[in-house]
Amino acid sequence: MTAVDPETRIPDPIDVDAAEEARLRAAAGLGPPALAPALGSEYAGFELVGVPDRPPQTEREREMYTLEEGEMLLNMGPQHPSTHGVMRLVVKLRGEVVTDLDPVLGYLHRGIEKLCENATYTTVLTYVDPMDYLASMHNEHAPAIAFEKLFGIQAPRRAEYIRALVVELNRVFSHGLMIGFLALDMGGLTPILYSFINRDDVVELLASISGQRMLFNFFRVGGVNWDVNDEFLSRLGKWHGTVLKSIGDNEKLITENEIFKGRTQDMGILNAEQAISYGVTGPNLRASGVPFDVRKAHPYSIYDELEFDVITQQRGDVYARYLQRIAELKQSLHLIDQIMDKMPPGPVQAQVPGIIRPKPGRAYGAVESPRGLYSVYAISDGGPTPYRFRMRDPSFITLQVMPLLMPSHLIADTMAIMASLDPVMGGVDK
Amino acid sequence: MALTNEPGDAAVRPNDQTPSSELVTSPARIEIPDSAPADDELLAPFGMEEHPTGGFHGLLEVIPTKADLVIDLIRANSLWPLLSGLSCCAIEMMSTATSKNDIDRFGMFPFRASPRQADVLIVAGTLTTKMAGPLVRLWEQMPEPKWCVAMGTCTTSGGRFKRSYSVVQGVDRVMPVDVYVPGCPPRPEGLIYGLLKLRELVMARRGQWRTYVDRGPQRVAWEGDVR
Amino acid sequence: MRLLVERFPETARDLWTDEDTVEVQIPRGSVVETLRTLRDDPQFSFFMLADAAAVDYGVGNHFEVVYHLYSDKHPAWLRVRVPVERANPRTPSVTSLWTGAMFHEREMYDMMGIVFEGNRDLRRIYMSPDYRSFPQRKDFLLPDDAADSSAAGVNPLERPETWDLTTFSKELTSSAATYPPLDTQVDVPAEAYPHGQESADKSRPA
Repeated sequence: MTAVDPETRIPDPIDVDAAEEARLRAAAGLGPPALAPALGSEYAGFELVGVPDRPPQTEREREMYTLEEGEMLLNMGPQHPSTHGVMRLVVKLRGEVVTDLDPVLGYLHRGIEKLCENATYTTVLTYVDPMDYLASMHNEHAPAIAFEKLFGIQAPRRAEYIRALVVELNRVFSHGLMIGFLALDMGGLTPILYSFINRDDVVELLASISGQRMLFNFFRVGGVNWDVNDEFLSRLGKWHGTVLKSIGDNEKLITENEIFKGRTQDMGILNAEQAISYGVTGPNLRASGVPFDVRKAHPYSIYDELEFDVITQQRGDVYARYLQRIAELKQSLHLIDQIMDKMPPGPVQAQVPGIIRPKPGRAYGAVESPRGLYSVYAISDGGPTPYRFRMRDPSFITLQVMPLLMPSHLIADTMAIMASLDPVMGGVDK
Repeated sequence: MALTNEPGDAAVRPNDQTPSSELVTSPARIEIPDSAPADDELLAPFGMEEHPTGGFHGLLEVIPTKADLVIDLIRANSLWPLLSGLSCCAIEMMSTATSKNDIDRFGMFPFRASPRQADVLIVAGTLTTKMAGPLVRLWEQMPEPKWCVAMGTCTTSGGRFKRSYSVVQGVDRVMPVDVYVPGCPPRPEGLIYGLLKLRELVMARRGQWRTYVDRGPQRVAWEGDVR
Repeated sequence: MRLLVERFPETARDLWTDEDTVEVQIPRGSVVETLRTLRDDPQFSFFMLADAAAVDYGVGNHFEVVYHLYSDKHPAWLRVRVPVERANPRTPSVTSLWTGAMFHEREMYDMMGIVFEGNRDLRRIYMSPDYRSFPQRKDFLLPDDAADSSAAGVNPLERPETWDLTTFSKELTSSAATYPPLDTQVDVPAEAYPHGQESADKSRPA
């Protein structure tokens, strides 16, 4: 091997990064990054964990990143086998017991709010789809409600019924997926296959009316885009007859499973006052005993004509959240039944102009998405685009409860708790 | 292949009627009678005397040109993807991996959690500037040979987030991409088509990781970036 | 919603009712007490904070922090609007009332630059910690190609009339919650761009 002159050899790409970074840091006057400061000092946690090498700027940061004797920081980085998407958890461990937790979000922030300010009202309904991508219909429903309030129109009744139908279908497969993800995060590899079979069936149904498998561009201001025909309704009826059995197959694998119950009962108990204070909504809140359902509290669409009751569980642990979602899934199937019976004929879209220019005003529209209260606050200035389009995503707010639930459990339970909260990072990061 | 000659093989055994042009003279086709001379004498006209380490070493010169094919077959039929689902396309990727559209039949079932064990990075989902750093770190940690599939329009070119301030406009700004699968999200059949195209690339050894040209900083801000 | 007018005549202004929302505007100083009364008083019992949003009314105008509250005793959402001045966007934090306001306020800080006093953890939540701009403001303009956008936080200069960057005045950036401080300007040396400065500024090489 010939001798390579160290001055002239082409450096490795990894070395180039370090050299460049050193040069840039020197140019900025920052100096080399601090490595391994003294143990026990205030900045002891600032090694190369993925934590920026600057002193803590807020109280909470100081509290989180100051390590005591025997603690360590573990970075469950943005890419990890749990299937919730790109979220980073910096976990402070003492042995295997979690003592503190810092979620780092923003790895999927796409600036949808800003993009929506430059898009017409109909285009906004396509931009909001990939937020909570497992509940796209709910993502579109809330802005549709808000825009219809701004514009001062009402969608025709058949459109409202179709909206409720697809929204409940979306809820069915979203809850079905949560079952699969919960089992997958705890190591059970079979229920996810059943969940995805169920999802594929539902999503093919939805694709036959909206044209898309996942980010359905189905809602319009003033109704929905396409009508359902008899063939679809007969397929829906056939599917409805078989879905209970397939959900039951999936459920039978886990619900009475000793290992599952041992890992989920009395785990991550969230009591009602804490849940309300933290802003948790949806199945997570109802599993802690608070009967708050937006469909009953502020009925929108045709939910005041359908009969259903608000289910709650008592315990508030992971198992309760799981049972809550199964119960809501079955309730959604019951709702779909009622909708299929009651669907009136008529138009499916109100007469709206091509580019909608509502009068200046403010509107707030809230729906119950599978993850909680999903709401949109829209301000219009009379032009073709919304002046301010703000979405309140339930998963974003639910994630605040993690530093409350996860400490004093083992690190293996963090995934169970997170899967039971069912966050979807598209919505968390907007 | 005519590496062995069966006793009843008329095409192999030269007889009086065989024109001399049809006599194949490769060693594998010579019929060796029982009273054959020793190997060395037989092989002397061909310059292939008994190899000191033993074995019919002439044959070994045939296999290496076939080993590339075998290695390519092995690589193509067991591409292990990295579990790197970022966003909505990840759900469609998982849907492709599960029962109804199964990529286990192509050998791609084990979605590895660790980049050190993965062959293919299917970038499924929108790449944001904050995530670009960790994703490129994952790419660099994957051992070669490695391939990259850009799934969905967000990774192909920024997609529906074309004017966004925090979306990398296409993952090929930060890493070499072999196959682009458009769609928002691509149907599982579409992704499978893309993966089959990837298999063709692997078999033809046309991957990009050796030939990627680094175009310099592309205005992507990584987390903690001083720039 | 006569109750509100009766209870807060001196602080509430501009009451407005829609079919299912009641809106009230309160000044910045009384945010915490008003919301606490709204939450705890049994006549109101707005026990849930549904949404906390920030609105930017333009370069010459003020910001607004909008809280949406839910009560089981009243059939309408309550919208509480708090104007915040643009030159010094500070407002009290409601994390003492609802712990779940933490992420809302972090997001409002990250996107709009509103500093919440009393928030224990006012860091950036969506953008990188060293991002130097506030994307949701009206003077942050989206360019046509995001490769030319401000990935590291300098306003894209699409329109010259926004070059008067009042938002980057010293008083705003000197607070501890915005980092890194703007006086450490980064001059990227020429060697960082191997293909030349011009091609690094374009979205396509050469």
